[in-house]
Amino acid sequence: MKRNTLYLAAAAAAVLAAALPAFLGAYPLNVARSVMTYMALAVSWDMLLRSGQISFGIAGLFGLGSYASALLVLRAGMDPAMSLVFATLFTGALAFTIGFAVLRLRAMYFSITTLALAEIFRIVLHNLHDFSGGPEGVVLPGVIFGGDTRALYWLCLGGLAITLGVSWYFEKSKLHLALTAIRNDETSARSSGVDIFRYLLIAFTITSTLQGMMGAIQVQSYGFTTPETAFDANFTLLPLAMALLGGIHSTLGPMAGAVLLGIASEWLKLKIPYGHLVVYGIIIVLVILLMPRGLVGLARKRRTGRGA
Amino acid sequence: MANKRNWTVALALGAAVIGILVWRPTVLIYGLQAAGIYASIAIPMGLILGIVHIVNLAHGEFMMAASYLTYMVCRATGMDPFLALVPVAAVTAAFGFGIYKLTIRQALKAPELNQLILTFGLAILLTQAANLAFTSQTRKISFDYVSASVDIGELSFGIYNFVFVAIAVAMVVGLRLFLTRTTTGKAALAVGQNPRGAAIVGIDVDRTYALVFSLASALVGMMGAVFITRSSIFPAVGSPFTMKSFCLIAMAGVGNIPGILASSVLLGVSENFLKAFRGTRGWADIVFFVLIITVILGRSIRGKKA
Repeated sequence: MKRNTLYLAAAAAAVLAAALPAFLGAYPLNVARSVMTYMALAVSWDMLLRSGQISFGIAGLFGLGSYASALLVLRAGMDPAMSLVFATLFTGALAFTIGFAVLRLRAMYFSITTLALAEIFRIVLHNLHDFSGGPEGVVLPGVIFGGDTRALYWLCLGGLAITLGVSWYFEKSKLHLALTAIRNDETSARSSGVDIFRYLLIAFTITSTLQGMMGAIQVQSYGFTTPETAFDANFTLLPLAMALLGGIHSTLGPMAGAVLLGIASEWLKLKIPYGHLVVYGIIIVLVILLMPRGLVGLARKRRTGRGA
Repeated sequence: MANKRNWTVALALGAAVIGILVWRPTVLIYGLQAAGIYASIAIPMGLILGIVHIVNLAHGEFMMAASYLTYMVCRATGMDPFLALVPVAAVTAAFGFGIYKLTIRQALKAPELNQLILTFGLAILLTQAANLAFTSQTRKISFDYVSASVDIGELSFGIYNFVFVAIAVAMVVGLRLFLTRTTTGKAALAVGQNPRGAAIVGIDVDRTYALVFSLASALVGMMGAVFITRSSIFPAVGSPFTMKSFCLIAMAGVGNIPGILASSVLLGVSENFLKAFRGTRGWADIVFFVLIITVILGRSIRGKKA
């Protein structure tokens, strides 16, 4: 019964989200798109976190996806819609290769290396002047779907829906058990027959692919990118803060956090043009110190009346 | 083990140094100067990592904050940064103490994940607070003595930056004396090796952590003060140093403070090697990432075999 209500609520939310363009103007739709992009990134970051690995490389894979998509259109003359697919696959393939190396690392070594990856991609694209346009970046001949705001909204919503679907699958399938076991104790997971490396590689590749996909959607929706905007550290920072605030190790938590912080940041951006991100820093620190399970954890605790 | 490795690295470096010295001396000179800066920023971080076992991802941001403080002090009073570093170091020590008591200490028992995210949050907090207070405009104070140079034959180069080499060496020697000769230092070393054992024999672990954290903050604050003589400052100026410092520490091995000197020389010289050619100049930044990845991966694979 309870599960049915949940599915109904999810379906209602999906219909509402799909119907939003009928009610909203261009600016709110734009805000909604940025919230959805961050939401997808937050959820995908959390999916890897469920295995206990903290990636600081969201911006790297996001930027990689956007550059792959832009360059496929510009250099290979590919159709924008096709480039989305191929850029997504490319990011996935590259993440799979990188995963072989970086997933042998743990804890701080893994995190710092993923942070470094974003910088490497940025520097490479910065320096390959002829191929990637160098520091000036690339300008696409046009925006996908002729720049129709509604179509762009639905495209972004589609990306988000895929991410949420995969995340939901992660929570319900055998993967969930394997990743949780790895997070709790690698040694006992291994002795129970969990192939740690394989599961981490699956999780890393899939989450990276999703991040690349969102990057590709982003670049096709705006029509230009530069190394500095594609690999902007905010694409790492904001999803992280959102997932933490909402509550990690779940799909719902990062979603709630993204809605709250995404809308709050639009408002703050207008109030404080410089340094409104200070709020994100404060949120990260306070959440880690005071409520490590986030808002969802807090709500769950209240409902069950015991520690989550 | 650490000593043997240090010697091998030193020997390999020595050979490379002689080769480069003959062929292109400026690469070596500027490389050493850069190494001085890298090492003196990385050493305090290494101290925290070695004893408190916390990766402080806000390390470069501590330095950035100290640079802004020095900037304000120098602008207001006309003081020289080398004089201002005393009050600045005192302030950053107090700041480090406050940060430790308010945040780090609460996360010591938490999983490593929480510690990493916590210090990452602190880094953002400091960068954005600087953005808020000073905007992202770059600031710079010029000093005459910075442009001091020396001519040897046809070779002419700036010598001011050798100050950083001196600072780095002084830090290594000073910390070595502190950790091996004084009671507090020995206690800190014991806590770093085994906190529980140290607590059993009556060392106040919490106090030691606070002390080490404040000491490291004072050192990095001092570097922040000196840093403004050499470079203009902006809110994001510290963040590359956080990563570089971590890389240097990982290369040397956690707890091997003299090793940081050697790895800094390797990084500084190879960066300046690429900067020496027009075609590869833009790629100099990538050296460090190649180093970090080979070193960290090499270390993890070797660690698996052992």
